[in-house]
Amino acid sequence: MAALLLASLWAGLCSGCGGAEGSQRLRLTTTTSTANSGLLGHLLSPFEEETGIEVVVVAVGTGQALALGERGDADIVLVHAREREDAFVAAGFGIDRRDVMWNDFVIVGPSSDPAGIRGESNPTSALKRLHAAEALFVSRGDDSGTHIRELGLWKTAGLDPAGNWYWKAGQGMGRCLVMADEKRGYTLTDRGTFLAFHEGVDLEILVEGHASMRNPYGAIRVNPDQHPQVNASQALKLLDYLTSSEGQKRIGTFRVDGEMLFHPAIEY
Amino acid sequence: MEFLWEGIKEAIRLIASGDRQVLHAGFVSVLCTVSALALAAALAIPYGAWLGLYRPRWSNLQALLLRVGMFVPTVVVGLVVYGLLSNHGLLGAADLLYTKLAIIVGEFLLAFPIIGSLTYAAVADLDLTALETARTLGASRWRAMWTMLGQVRVSVMTAFLMAFARCFTELGVAITVGGNLEMRTRTLASTVVLDLSRGRFSQAMAPGLILILIAILITAAALRIAQEQKR
Repeated sequence: MAALLLASLWAGLCSGCGGAEGSQRLRLTTTTSTANSGLLGHLLSPFEEETGIEVVVVAVGTGQALALGERGDADIVLVHAREREDAFVAAGFGIDRRDVMWNDFVIVGPSSDPAGIRGESNPTSALKRLHAAEALFVSRGDDSGTHIRELGLWKTAGLDPAGNWYWKAGQGMGRCLVMADEKRGYTLTDRGTFLAFHEGVDLEILVEGHASMRNPYGAIRVNPDQHPQVNASQALKLLDYLTSSEGQKRIGTFRVDGEMLFHPAIEY
Repeated sequence: MEFLWEGIKEAIRLIASGDRQVLHAGFVSVLCTVSALALAAALAIPYGAWLGLYRPRWSNLQALLLRVGMFVPTVVVGLVVYGLLSNHGLLGAADLLYTKLAIIVGEFLLAFPIIGSLTYAAVADLDLTALETARTLGASRWRAMWTMLGQVRVSVMTAFLMAFARCFTELGVAITVGGNLEMRTRTLASTVVLDLSRGRFSQAMAPGLILILIAILITAAALRIAQEQKR
């Protein structure tokens, strides 16, 4: 009797665990920067209300976000690594890539700034100084969009960072900021994540504003010809919304502590 | 599912080619776990046995705390150790954050309650006449305790293996206070997480399979020792 009760209880609990029947869910894989900053909640709630579509947001690194799309485990991806995105589309995994918004990268470090990079306008010359001073640098080391950009900047600087001072953390931006703070090191971060973290940490923005630090985000639909099970029609609706004047306005009005984190890609 | 098969092939390839990063991660995993377990066993076995045999004051409460300790999430242990070792923490000056020693401290805290509480449970079930006999024959409390522990060797070995399983596969400590730093504090388990976040599914399976392989070897060795002791 007790076993029967337990079994029915278990069945009851589990009935809510599977995919919702009837209404299809839309799976969006994206980077932690968009989800953690709160942008997606702000951006997606009017869309969900209007259309009744439930958007499931999976926030991972750019590498994993694209890999999930490649396997048909996502319907639409929103990421920031232009070369990877183009390769994704070229390989036939994705279609219909559109610019959605951009934010920017900054180099942060301890306020004492032992390597003296504060005020340097060009990030590559700042990196050269860090390299020469062998100042502790925390690299994401996780194939994320930020990591790919960081490697690109080192390449532009003509340097191949390695050694005791160069830490490959293999972790998300938040944890890397904590590490840089704890060890009084430097790191490259997107502005949004830094603003979300900067109150707890003794790090400052030291280099910012250069054109090479722009970080564009693109949305790509997963190709239904490759994966017939993907939710192609709703993915198109979401993509249209993201690039509509309403969606763009939503991005442009999003603020964290009064600061604008993402800039719309299109004039609205 | 194809990446499971790919993962097996990748694991064989990585071992055969002696991949430096994976070998180092395996080294970090084994070094940290073995050090933490040795330390935990040296303290938790006598502690658990003393608690079960001599019932000191508050022994029930202590046993309860040990049991609860087995359920503390590894990330919470990681967080506590982080709080201690952080610049702003009590032991910040020791500069131990993001080192293998920090992982060992955390894994010690994971292993201690498991070994202590299972040793306690094993000796609590024993018939205490042998203990009293040994005591009347003039054995010290310490000596008599070791005699009793001999009777529960297999249980203690099981406790040791459970602690091994918890430490060897854990992520909360390795990532939070180890930092998952390449060629420094990256373990096999945290390599899996990283490869997964890179979207490299079959590469992620490989360190996972190597981890299981090492676990099989260590478990087999432990069971062998336990059997030989029985004879």
